[in-house]
Amino acid sequence: MSEFLMLGWNVAIPEVDIGDDIFVVQDDNGTLRRVQVKTSTSTARKDRFSGQFSLSVKNLRNISNILVHYIFLVRHNDEWSKPAIIRQDYLLDHFENNKVGAEAKGNITFYFSYVKGTVECSGQNFTTYIKDFTDFPKIEH
Amino acid sequence: MDVIKINVNKQMDGYSFSITPSIRDFIKKLFPNAHPANNIFVGYDTKSDFEIYIAKLENHIYPALLGVDNESDLNQFDEIQFIDTQTGNILHKVTPRDEKI
Repeated sequence: MSEFLMLGWNVAIPEVDIGDDIFVVQDDNGTLRRVQVKTSTSTARKDRFSGQFSLSVKNLRNISNILVHYIFLVRHNDEWSKPAIIRQDYLLDHFENNKVGAEAKGNITFYFSYVKGTVECSGQNFTTYIKDFTDFPKIEH
Repeated sequence: MDVIKINVNKQMDGYSFSITPSIRDFIKKLFPNAHPANNIFVGYDTKSDFEIYIAKLENHIYPALLGVDNESDLNQFDEIQFIDTQTGNILHKVTPRDEKI
C-alpha cells in the first residue's frame, strides 16, 4: 500500500471482502484500480527460493471492465520479495495459452521460482512483471 | 488464419467483451495501424435496444474490439468466436467474409 501512496495514488480497503483486497484510486479524476495481494512463505533451495500462490479460476476468468492487478509477494529470510504485478488479462493469457499454473478443484496454483533477481513460473520468464508499476504512473500533487 | 477468440463475461449489469494480450499483439503485428481495445462493456438494456433497432451486437463489437475497420483486413480472419469465459461455451461465431456489417 505504501508503494502506491509513494506513487501519488490513494488506497482504500473495501468494507466487505468480496475478493478485492485494495482499491487504488487516482483522487483527482476517480480512476480506479482493483488490486488483489497474494502472499506466500518461501521454500528455500540451493541458490533459489520459491513461493506458491493459489487463485480461483472463476475469479481469474471474471473479466470485468476494471481488471484486477494481482500482486505476488514471497516472505523469504525475514524480508518481502520485490512485488510481481500482473494484470488479470495477462495472467489469464499465460494460464490459457502458455500452460502456466496447475489447475485443480477450481483453483490454479502458481509456483514462482526466484533466482538472482529473476522470476520464473511454469518455465515462463516473469521477471518483466517485477515492480511493474506501468498501470500506476507517478502522480504529482 | 487461426480462430480469434473473444471472451464474453456476463456481469450484473451487462457484458464485458475482451481479448487476451496475445491476441492484441497478434493483431498489431498483422495490422500495424490497428488499435485493439482491452475490453468493451455493453449494458443489457443497450444490447437489447441495439438488437431490436439495428442488428446483432456481436457483429459490431468485433471490429471495435480488434481495432480493425477495413473490410478487406477483417476478411482475413477465418472465424471469430465469442466464448463465455466461465463455461467455455461458444456463444456466437462470425466469419467476417460472410457477413455484411
